[in-house]
Amino acid sequence: MSSRSLLIAAAAFGLMALQGPARADVEPEALVEPVAEYKLYVLDNLDAFVGHTRDFTRAIEAGELERAQSLYAPTRVYYERIEPVAELFADLDASIDAREDDYEKGVDDPDFTGFHRLEYGLFKQQTTDGLAPYARRLMSDVKDLESRVQGLTFPPAKVVGGAAALMEEVAATKVSGEEDRYSHTDLWDFQGNVDGSQKIFALFKPLIAEEDPAFVERVEDNFAAVEATLAHYRLAANDPEAGFVSYEKVSDKDRRALVGPVTVLAEDLSTLRGKLGL
Amino acid sequence: MSDQPDNTSRCPFTLDRRRFLQGLGAAGVGVAAGGLGRPARAADDHAVTGAPVSTTTAQAYPFHGRHQQGILTPRPAAGMVVACDVLARNRTGLERLLRTLTERIAFLTEGGTYPERDPAYPPADSGILGPTIAPDGLTVTVSLGASLFDTRFGLADARPRHLQRMTGFPNDALEPERCHGDLSLQICANTHDTTLHALRDLIKHTPGLLMVRWKQEGTVPVVPPRDNGPTPSARNYLGFRDGTANPDTDDATLMDALIWTGDDPEEPAWTRGGSYQVVRIIRNYVERWDRTPLAEQEAVFGRHKASGAPLDGAQEHDTPDYAADPEGRITPLDAHIRLANPRTPGFEKHRILRRPFNYSNGVEANGQFDMGLLFIVYQADLQAGFITVQNRLNGEPLEEYIQPVGGGYFFTLPGVVDATDYLGRALLEATAT
Ligand code: HEM
Repeated sequence: MSSRSLLIAAAAFGLMALQGPARADVEPEALVEPVAEYKLYVLDNLDAFVGHTRDFTRAIEAGELERAQSLYAPTRVYYERIEPVAELFADLDASIDAREDDYEKGVDDPDFTGFHRLEYGLFKQQTTDGLAPYARRLMSDVKDLESRVQGLTFPPAKVVGGAAALMEEVAATKVSGEEDRYSHTDLWDFQGNVDGSQKIFALFKPLIAEEDPAFVERVEDNFAAVEATLAHYRLAANDPEAGFVSYEKVSDKDRRALVGPVTVLAEDLSTLRGKLGL
Repeated sequence: MSDQPDNTSRCPFTLDRRRFLQGLGAAGVGVAAGGLGRPARAADDHAVTGAPVSTTTAQAYPFHGRHQQGILTPRPAAGMVVACDVLARNRTGLERLLRTLTERIAFLTEGGTYPERDPAYPPADSGILGPTIAPDGLTVTVSLGASLFDTRFGLADARPRHLQRMTGFPNDALEPERCHGDLSLQICANTHDTTLHALRDLIKHTPGLLMVRWKQEGTVPVVPPRDNGPTPSARNYLGFRDGTANPDTDDATLMDALIWTGDDPEEPAWTRGGSYQVVRIIRNYVERWDRTPLAEQEAVFGRHKASGAPLDGAQEHDTPDYAADPEGRITPLDAHIRLANPRTPGFEKHRILRRPFNYSNGVEANGQFDMGLLFIVYQADLQAGFITVQNRLNGEPLEEYIQPVGGGYFFTLPGVVDATDYLGRALLEATAT
């Protein structure tokens, strides 16, 4: 059995645990393949995430400030894409991605670790001094995450709900620029969340496209509107790797222009579970 | 208690005794139910978290009419102003926004039952008032800011003549995040939760069309019903009755002259039946105020604190006679009410309709309260109204105790006359190409 069909079988098993009657016309079996595809997507991203985290944390341990700074955002992107799954492990989500606001003592809190602690050192304090322990901890947390996700049965409701959850993330913390307050690399995270949401939507779209073409069109239009605004702020139009300008450079007008489609997406995607009978 | 009618008591003992009995009446129910001296029964425990009861939940103001509600409508106990930016990208989006607001406000102010949805979907409503909502005296008043009349929607040529971006006055310390907006929603109701419910409904129904820019909630203290005589004006957070000298809202001719825009031939025709709305978030330094001698407080306003009467009068609604006091020996020349309305011939046209709420937001870093007045006024002509009066008030002694920190100028749309009409229809039709 290929790893792919194994995954599909595992996902099907997850579905059997589903409670209650499905309400939409979508047969539960129809969900098996997209859920399995999604798990592959997540594992691919996790694989890349581990590799990038390795480079990032090594740069910190080697005291290479500029290199570490430049690797910060491109590393996080992978996490941001799969956040709804990563968040299933609350302990790791806290140690990898919590922000200083989550702690009463803020940056000085001994429990404050992970990306944003490193961001504070690299971008605010402008040094790698004292960051090595946080870097080592991050590396081990990220590996831990990968192995836990490998063994995870993906609950379909969580997977489908992830499309909306990612847009809620964007609406709540990305538009305001509070996520990456020292590095101002919010647009990378923004793109990561949008990618992840769009992936989920694309996987399940065939199941609703016929029944609800207007809905599909509206969602796609709004994704396109978000992508178009983000595209203005890419450093190189044809090279996604080049990334984005600092969020400080995004005009208030464009921040507002993002709120519109993001809110409509959050509202529309919140019905996706219902449409699929989950 | 000071707001109790005092005309019923010739003998203070009687009054005190009555108050005592009233107090016992309210507090005594639980005791009576459980029997004196006996422990309360288990059923009584529910009373702790049972919903507080109101007799005014069914109160409803008709939505359709020449003017919007929320201007001449009696001011209820809860109100808020929410300023929004319009996110719609074109006129079609703007029309959809205005039609959606019309439809939602019509429903919310009448009350009714939300549709039930398949539980696999998010529910149709926040549900904070249950599946069936009562109107509870709700009004929602929609107004447009000067910024909406820019190039986005082709409205520039139809901007109400005096509508402009609010500018700072000498005593202002405006915080940009609490100023201006493309559109304001004034939401008022008998209870705070009814206003919040309406706000959440409106925002949920306008994704991609509206983004909240700032919001200020406020309240008005309630008084017991009175058997005779006019209800006294409610008090603001400086302890003074506020609203006493408002123009008479029952006088339709006066309202047409002072409040409703339309007579001025230089105003665009679509503005007829609307009004200029000014919102100012005015912080009050209440700790300092409470440490100010009463005589000085009264001199600052030109009114008695307890009764609300002018300094030369005895009852709240007595008319001050400034002509008899040209040097300001009784009512100082720089008293708030004397500056705001000198009651000289010809000043009538500068009168404005004030409909404020008190606000309390939290605590400043210095431990002082962030309290004040959510000042809302309506007038037919912004320049002759608020701007003229505020310019007269600049430098008044009251400024030592207050500071405007936010707000904006808006134009309140004419009313929605019937079910085929919608908010802003006349504006959109006047600018259609
Ligand atoms: C925190 C700020 C303010 C407080 C606490 C306050 C308080 C009061 C009080 C207690 C009165 C007397 C009772 C009454 O007639 O309502 C009054 C009257 C009045 N106030 Fe204010 N006020 C404030 C700001 C303003 C502003 C900004 C304006 C206009 C620019 C204004 C215009 C008026 C007018 C027109 C009157 C009626 C004067 C008359 O016709 O006798 N007030 N205010």
